[in-house]
Amino acid sequence: MRLEHRRTLMYLAILAIILLCPQHGHAYAGPGAGFAVLSSFWTLFVAFLYSVYAFFVWPFRQLFRLLRRRKAYGKAQIKRAVILGFDGMDPELTERFIAEGRLPNMAKLRGQGTFRKLRTTYPAISPVAWSTFMTGVNPGKHNIYDFLARDLANYLPYLSSAEIKGPKRSWKIGKYTIPLGGPRIKGMRKGIPFWHWLGEAGIFCSVLRVPVTFPPEKFSGVLLSGMCVPDLKGSQGTFCLCTTRLSGDKFREGGVRVPIERSAAQCSSYVPGPEDPLTGSSDDELRVSFQIFPDLGKSQARFTVDGEKFTLKVGEYSDWIPVRFKAGIGFSAHGICRFYLKELSPEIEVYVTPVNIDPSRPDLPISHPVTYSIYLSKLFGPYATLGLAEDTWALNEKVLDDNAFLAQCYANHDDRERMLFDALEKTQQGLCACVFDTTDRVQHMFWRYLDDDHPAAREVPRDQRPMVIQDLYTRMDELIGRVMKKIDEQTLLMIVSDHGFKSFNRCVNLNAWLHQNGYLALKSGKTESGDWFDDVDWSRTRAYTMGLNGLYLNLKGREREGIIEPGADADALKGELRQKLDGLTDPASGRVGITGVFDCDAVYAGPYVDNAPDLIVGYGDGFRASWDSVMGKVTSQIFEDNLKAWSGDHCIDPRLVPGVLFCNHKISEEKPAIVDVAPTVLKLFGLALPRHLDGKPWTVALSAAP
Amino acid sequence: MGPLGVNVPAGIVVAISLIIGLVMVIVFGYTSDQKAIHVAKDRLKAHLLALRLFQDQIHVVLRSYGRIVLATGHYLRLAFKPLLFVIVPMTLLIVQLDRYLGSVPLVTGQSFLIKARMDSPESLNEATLQLPQGLTTSAPAVHVPSENEVAWRVVAAKAGEYNINVHVSDQSFSKSVVVGSGLLRLSSTRLRGKFWERIFVSGESALPENKFIQAIAVQYPDRNIAFAGIEWNWIWLFFVLSLAAGFLFKSILGIEI
Repeated sequence: MRLEHRRTLMYLAILAIILLCPQHGHAYAGPGAGFAVLSSFWTLFVAFLYSVYAFFVWPFRQLFRLLRRRKAYGKAQIKRAVILGFDGMDPELTERFIAEGRLPNMAKLRGQGTFRKLRTTYPAISPVAWSTFMTGVNPGKHNIYDFLARDLANYLPYLSSAEIKGPKRSWKIGKYTIPLGGPRIKGMRKGIPFWHWLGEAGIFCSVLRVPVTFPPEKFSGVLLSGMCVPDLKGSQGTFCLCTTRLSGDKFREGGVRVPIERSAAQCSSYVPGPEDPLTGSSDDELRVSFQIFPDLGKSQARFTVDGEKFTLKVGEYSDWIPVRFKAGIGFSAHGICRFYLKELSPEIEVYVTPVNIDPSRPDLPISHPVTYSIYLSKLFGPYATLGLAEDTWALNEKVLDDNAFLAQCYANHDDRERMLFDALEKTQQGLCACVFDTTDRVQHMFWRYLDDDHPAAREVPRDQRPMVIQDLYTRMDELIGRVMKKIDEQTLLMIVSDHGFKSFNRCVNLNAWLHQNGYLALKSGKTESGDWFDDVDWSRTRAYTMGLNGLYLNLKGREREGIIEPGADADALKGELRQKLDGLTDPASGRVGITGVFDCDAVYAGPYVDNAPDLIVGYGDGFRASWDSVMGKVTSQIFEDNLKAWSGDHCIDPRLVPGVLFCNHKISEEKPAIVDVAPTVLKLFGLALPRHLDGKPWTVALSAAP
Repeated sequence: MGPLGVNVPAGIVVAISLIIGLVMVIVFGYTSDQKAIHVAKDRLKAHLLALRLFQDQIHVVLRSYGRIVLATGHYLRLAFKPLLFVIVPMTLLIVQLDRYLGSVPLVTGQSFLIKARMDSPESLNEATLQLPQGLTTSAPAVHVPSENEVAWRVVAAKAGEYNINVHVSDQSFSKSVVVGSGLLRLSSTRLRGKFWERIFVSGESALPENKFIQAIAVQYPDRNIAFAGIEWNWIWLFFVLSLAAGFLFKSILGIEI
């Protein structure tokens, strides 16, 4: 018996003696002990009742399933499937690190089972690829083509995966609007995830942080939403830099600067929150104020935030701190955030992470069932719920340094690992799928140290460059090793990545190219546009681009001010653009910036093809859409250096960035694709494949029957 | 009832419960590991939620139940430390309050029993009761040899605080008897020796050392306190009200119990 348990039993015995030996009334030792004893007995009583209930009801539930012809595992070839998604794990790097002996567990998997490059989607972007992974269909059937989609009425972007609107009804009193009901959330991803079919067949599924699962859909299992879950402001992550520095550039994206007010012994600032639901104005944001009490002698500061008190040294993160934004009686939003003390002297700077939805009191649904996020929070403590939880913008804007960013990434990663191992324990039969984002975020931000001549790392001598990506792969390999110890022969283990990675050292402003080549027109007298096509003359514009890979024609009858006739004219224009862009060369380096332009009519098929871009631009190795081009901005330069920490990318020609597939069993398919994962898992569990699936199941050589 | 129609004992119990609730919550907050208690409670809730979330997985249900038992033990262990700080003063306080609130004084004209517990059956015949003016016996003494006990039925003619005496073999042993109304300090038993028992049940000094008599007891009627339409024993009312006060103050003060 463990010492902890023995000690617990000893305390229990002493407690029982104290409580039971004195005469009846004298055993009561105040409300603290009263609460403890009452709630403990109540908890045990409820738990016991529920256990008995579950135990006796279980056979009837099994019978019910049989009657509904949901005989789980009847034709299954496996007992359990464990899928680890390592977002962005690159096959070439993996091979290189295996060869260097850094990845013993992956080497073992390759030797005993399968290692292949996994064909990705067009474009090779996470929300697109993971949507295909879960639905087994091409983007024309699941409707996700990028992080962003464009509003045809005004050429402005919106989030492609989910739409969040205010409540359906509200009550207006003067300048105040009382919301009657919660926000309306609509998932934009179509198609049915394969765990839905498994659940229908009575096969339990635990799904953790798979991208584009917000809002969570009902199915027979548990799911925690991943990429695309917003923060409490409704954005995809807005950090806050609280500072006493009066000047400073406005952050281009992803963050806000908030002043710290100094007084004699303390400083005060605030965390900006969502807009006030009672006024509905973005100017009236809710705030949570906090105080800082610096102690320069110890290089630390004491913080008081919403009743929570903690002390941080310079360069240290807080735990997750709960914050409550109050809008009035009965209206409040619950979030969590972490504080990082950047600097204490001469100026004070505190970085605050985006305010994540509090998983223990979610104001928006982030799991199915809703209690699952609460369960995880109670079991492991608060955790990041934001889809893009690793604050890449803060590192890009040099608000965080490399170490602070990595500390944040790995704290989130550790939480995810704990969740995975809990799901593995809970899912002894069925599907356990978990996606890790760390691989993607760390490679995005640290590829500059792998690239011999990256513009963002030229000042760092090669022999002083940190081995961040090598360490990342080693860490993921260790995780695989621990997972392998938890599985048996009847479990199928797959390691899947949605795409690979390449260096991103040159930016291509495709809008600039379109402008300079007469396809995009600016209003007279303008040589550049603002963000989101400000100053673009749509009446003379034939094509434009926004987002990472999509190129759009300004089509008559589709776009608000479209000028290109659908049909032959549009086809001719697409052909012309493909011809001119394919092989576009960077004059500074002589390298090919675009290696392929793909007609969406050829690569997509399905009911949502009309929402797709007209062309997908495949950038060459080392290139990607420029930061301005993504935001619909026309600049004077087409090619420029990428000087940001965000130095690796995958939003290029999908043929150049396949993902990886590891499996603990032999797979005969030589060129597997991510679209094949769903039908393969369904087939292994003995289910008939829905006819609309585009993927083809692989032949898996299983060594043992379930 | 008091002069303004106020139920005085109920008012006292309410006031004491509120004060004790507040003080004990503060003591609990300072003497307990608040973070550990928070974590322990969260774990308990997680295991309870697991029962619901994974109800079709019998192995999870059974394992969760086992974890609930262990987590409950851990939680009680964390509550044990503050319990050590409060249990002695709380016990003494409750014992003292019980002297005033546990029973009502005897009523004039109504008979009551005085019992003496002897060391041996032989002493029963030697024991006699000597009553002060105002108290009279209403029946002959009753001997209960199996219990070594002799009992007298007594009636009070008027209110007052009396001392009765039990004589045995030239020795006299006194015991207080209170007749009247209101909140008076009452002691139902006077004991020989038995220090710990005396703390809990007796409000009088010990009987002198002797070979004949162990205890003299007076049967005071239990006090029932009317509150919220229910007749309560004060300790139950105190239990409920102090828990409610504790619940209120823990929320206000942000203390985890």
